[in-house]
Amino acid sequence: MTNTMILSWVTFLYFGAFVLYLFHLVFGKEFWGKAAFYTVLGGLGAHTVGLLLRWQESYTLGIGHAPLSNFYESLIFFAWALILLYVIMEWRIKNRSLGAFVLPVAFLLMAFASLAPNVSDRIQPLVPALQSNWLTSHVVTCFMGYAAFTVAFAIGIMYFLRNIPLFGFIPEGDILDELMYQHAVLGFVFLTLGIMTGSVWAHYAWGSYWSWDPKETWSLITWLIYAVMLHARYVRGWRGKRMAVLAIIGFAAVLFTYLGVNYLPGLHSYLKS
Amino acid sequence: MPKQKNPFWSFFASVYLTITLLVFTVVLSIVGTFIPQQDAAREFVQGIPPGLASFLQTMQIFDLFHSVWFFLLMLLLSLNLIICSLNRWPLTWKQFRRAPFPGDEEGLFRGLDNGRVFLCDEDVATITGRLEGLLGRKYRQISRNQEKGDAVIISGERGRYSRFAVYVVHLSLLLLILGALMGAFWGWEGYVNIGEGETADAIDLKGGKGTKALPFTIRCDKFIVEFYENGAPKTYRSDLTFLKEGKTIYQGPVLVNHPVSLEGVRVYQASYGSSPDGRASLAFIRGGQEQKIIKIGAGESFSLPDKEGTVQIVRLEENLMQMGPAVKLLVNSGPGEVSFWVFQHIDKIREMNPGVTEQVPMFNPSLFKPYVFALKGMEERYYTGLQISRDPGAPLAAAAAVLMMVALIGTFFSSHRRIWIKIQPAGEKTRITVAARSNKHPVVLDREVRQLAELIKVNLEKGST
Repeated sequence: MTNTMILSWVTFLYFGAFVLYLFHLVFGKEFWGKAAFYTVLGGLGAHTVGLLLRWQESYTLGIGHAPLSNFYESLIFFAWALILLYVIMEWRIKNRSLGAFVLPVAFLLMAFASLAPNVSDRIQPLVPALQSNWLTSHVVTCFMGYAAFTVAFAIGIMYFLRNIPLFGFIPEGDILDELMYQHAVLGFVFLTLGIMTGSVWAHYAWGSYWSWDPKETWSLITWLIYAVMLHARYVRGWRGKRMAVLAIIGFAAVLFTYLGVNYLPGLHSYLKS
Repeated sequence: MPKQKNPFWSFFASVYLTITLLVFTVVLSIVGTFIPQQDAAREFVQGIPPGLASFLQTMQIFDLFHSVWFFLLMLLLSLNLIICSLNRWPLTWKQFRRAPFPGDEEGLFRGLDNGRVFLCDEDVATITGRLEGLLGRKYRQISRNQEKGDAVIISGERGRYSRFAVYVVHLSLLLLILGALMGAFWGWEGYVNIGEGETADAIDLKGGKGTKALPFTIRCDKFIVEFYENGAPKTYRSDLTFLKEGKTIYQGPVLVNHPVSLEGVRVYQASYGSSPDGRASLAFIRGGQEQKIIKIGAGESFSLPDKEGTVQIVRLEENLMQMGPAVKLLVNSGPGEVSFWVFQHIDKIREMNPGVTEQVPMFNPSLFKPYVFALKGMEERYYTGLQISRDPGAPLAAAAAVLMMVALIGTFFSSHRRIWIKIQPAGEKTRITVAARSNKHPVVLDREVRQLAELIKVNLEKGST
């Protein structure tokens, strides 16, 4: 299948971009930064083409659904959303030093999707529970949220590395704090939408808009953690280090919502295959 | 306000309480995902000491999300939310109603960078008029104030109503909790299995809470399951008829993702199965005569032509020894009895194991000569597993969700921005200074002011040529 080939090449492009961002940091030359950014742009373009091709191929196979239905496709979309948010951020703040922290996450997601033995990259037909118009909106909103939280997490990590002399290139604390907050808000809004679209879907598929399925519960836990983070900032004026700690805790909850709950019994079992 | 001195009031008005309650909710939820809940807990309980089990049961640990603890947390959180909002409301209202000029104009314009200060040639009155027009394009509530020493300040603002958005978020959260409570008190959920052709008018409630009579009778006319080539399920579908006092009130299919809603009760396709008392489609040929097919169930028997014997179906197996469907026949022909298995996929079995029917006579479908029997298929009788529920709180929860989404966008992506432009004579020239304040998002405000300053600069240059 062409799409999986393109997508596995995208993995290398993201790795290449990561290396170029590192060069940019070490040598400080704008050339490396530009090269890195254009590599990311190329990767994002190819990634988008890969996703669209996969969508089209699924129709050619007579299956016909958006590439958002199993673990492989969720990993690929997660990486796509992450890179999209990163490109927008770099373009907005005109600072390339965050690339060295976000790109490796996208690379790992793609590499895991392509190489892990238990992740099938085949286009499979949808089981009855997934045959719904809510599939696309639910998965897109959830993973946009996850991606925004991942960016906030990467910035949170940078916040702690900032004081080590080796990492002198990291932008000022205020800028990091603002960016971290913006991505937490973006993630929060998307996660809220994701939970709501999921509830509407559950109302049609599972007999109740909320069943305390482990994934539902963990998405609520994640939502509450970020709610605490935003309240602490708005009402108590928390900034910087404390926000960074919460961004990291929040991301741990995101990871558990995405992957951890698959080891608990529940209704959301599509990701196991 | 005297209220603030009340210890009850100040306890519930604290944001630390909010954060503590949210952390408790998080901890309780985590516990609820690791300890099996409700129906899943029954098996778990058997594996732990009975004393511990009954203690945990009393503490409602196996139904945490419907426990007194969770209910209490939600109650405290709601109280906290209401009192926090009431406590902050007067300040918000005051800021909403605030006059365009705060009275500390001098402080507003102190310490601004060069990007926000311009000099130009025209007089104060001309520029005031022009900038009022410019400001009016993007901002509301444009007003003017005459200051000391011929100076004029004009002001405008945007997003005044966004100050209320956060209250609407909290209101929607209260409505959501209310909707969930309505569902918990007046809603119910249960399951029923109905065989094809059978009817049901009551269901087993979830969590072993007894049975519940339905406001109608459901008849399952047919259940259909389809599979993809890879063996994954493709469709589960029940054709149902809903009856009331013997009359059909609704007839139609129920599929996964397509429930039927009737009289406030929703009927979902949840599971299925096949009944063990299915029927077999059995064919037999005598010599070169034509084939006859008979549909027959386990335990039933039929007579062969010319009283050559009677055939009884002893057993029906859906998958005998991993070789597919089979029936065990007992043929009684007066003097003797013979018993053997008839497999549906006998050709395939012979192909895989040449000579098997000679070695194992029990597997030979032509053991009773001169007849040859063949199993055409199992008549599986399916039953459909329906989930039936009623949730009177669902519409309120849905409305709350929509309200929350709109209000969240108002809270996060809008702010109350107020702009002041001071126009004052400076020797031969006129000095223009731009100042701004916002209730949140200083970075956004800063960008907006820079854009406005740029706009003013361009406008002044155009005006003077």
